[in-house]
Amino acid sequence: MDDDLLPPEDNGDLQIAFIEASNERAHFVIKNSNLETANSLRRTMLAEIPTLAIDVVEVLDNTSVLADEFICHRLGLIPLSAKGIDELLYSRDCECDGYCELCSVVLTLQAKCESSDVMKVYARDLVITSSRGNQQLGNPVLTDPDRLGSCIVKLRRGQAIHMRCIAKKGIAKEHAKWAPTAAVGFEYDPGNRLRHLDYWYEEDPKKEWPVNEQHLNMDGVPPQEGEPFDYDAVPTRFFFDVETVGGMPPDEIVTKGISTLQEKLAAVIQELKGGDAGDNLDFGGAQSPTMNGMGYGGQDAGYTTPYGGGGPSATAYGGATSAYGGNPW
Amino acid sequence: MTRLTDDVPHRHESFLRDYGEKIVEVQDETRTPNTSLFTFNKEDHTLGNLISQRLHKYPFILFSAYKVPHPLFSSFELRVQTDGSITPKEAVLRCCQEIVEDLHKLKGKFNTEWAIHLAKQQVDEERRGREREQF
Repeated sequence: MDDDLLPPEDNGDLQIAFIEASNERAHFVIKNSNLETANSLRRTMLAEIPTLAIDVVEVLDNTSVLADEFICHRLGLIPLSAKGIDELLYSRDCECDGYCELCSVVLTLQAKCESSDVMKVYARDLVITSSRGNQQLGNPVLTDPDRLGSCIVKLRRGQAIHMRCIAKKGIAKEHAKWAPTAAVGFEYDPGNRLRHLDYWYEEDPKKEWPVNEQHLNMDGVPPQEGEPFDYDAVPTRFFFDVETVGGMPPDEIVTKGISTLQEKLAAVIQELKGGDAGDNLDFGGAQSPTMNGMGYGGQDAGYTTPYGGGGPSATAYGGATSAYGGNPW
Repeated sequence: MTRLTDDVPHRHESFLRDYGEKIVEVQDETRTPNTSLFTFNKEDHTLGNLISQRLHKYPFILFSAYKVPHPLFSSFELRVQTDGSITPKEAVLRCCQEIVEDLHKLKGKFNTEWAIHLAKQQVDEERRGREREQF
């Protein structure tokens, strides 16, 4: 392949450097990448990674002070573990009516206050009442020191609540409760050398807009006063700060984000390659891998499955995340 | 689920393709040479910006841009003109394939760096633990 036809940035060696890695956060820089790839990755991580969230609630009893739909909304927003979510089908792709064990996890919430004190019902009181692929999928995420989770309702003496919550697989494009990330920090060019930003200010933008010094130090030579403006400069370093809601470790969010983006592109590739009859393309055998066969069908065959084309086929990908052994949680 | 009005589109309509609906439809533009109009259904800026901007970097691309015709309909149109050495369809195809390869490299790099960083943290912690024991 002609190297000079490659986009220039990609000739530089793609690099990743970590600033922080923990159970909750992945803070890193991608070097020698480009803005469109970085931004698309950010968008996929925010909105298109499948996770698990309570979607349907059957209210059997509710004598609390909160209305049914109010509590249902609160239940929907509770983060649940999405471990092994790839094995779970989308409910709409499942052959069952309504929901079943292949496409949902059922959690039951039952509490009754019999003392004179106010009783708090927490996320940890959600009990899994269906069988599932692994012992973590669907567990409420409990990260506080007391491992209680968030408070759902408070009950007074004699008040009771009994609900069957059906958690389903979904993506944040449909509802934000399926978002795997609390936030994705995204920054490039912290010194504003490219002048993509025109800071609003009262008196002095330098005083009023604090610079992220840590990022600035990692972004090469800091911009000098009065240096000539480079009209051809493009951003090449991107600072990501991925913070998880708790259902999925941060590294998995990043790898799944990349995989999801690859699957989207693979679907486009397949559509274009498959070709409608009478197009003007000469591929010499529509299905054979064309031009650069590298990377195709070989080590990464999984991504050629069409996006959303039957749940189980996507599991070819699930393996890839553990293949590197990079998920020690 | 109750819905206030039928004017509000269902939430899943922004990403679920109808049965038989194609991801991309290619239409040749006859007013200019070597030009095609790609209509992406149920896709958004994530792919639109990614593909159109990436195409700018190839020398055989004369024009590439995308637009979202209407914010309530989840589709975008990508217009690509090449210099004739390659068809627009081939160009988009090649572009997508190379992005996938780049992402594959990115994923590999990320996983190694993540593992290295964690191992480092562990070593540091162990050392700190030993130092505490010594005192």
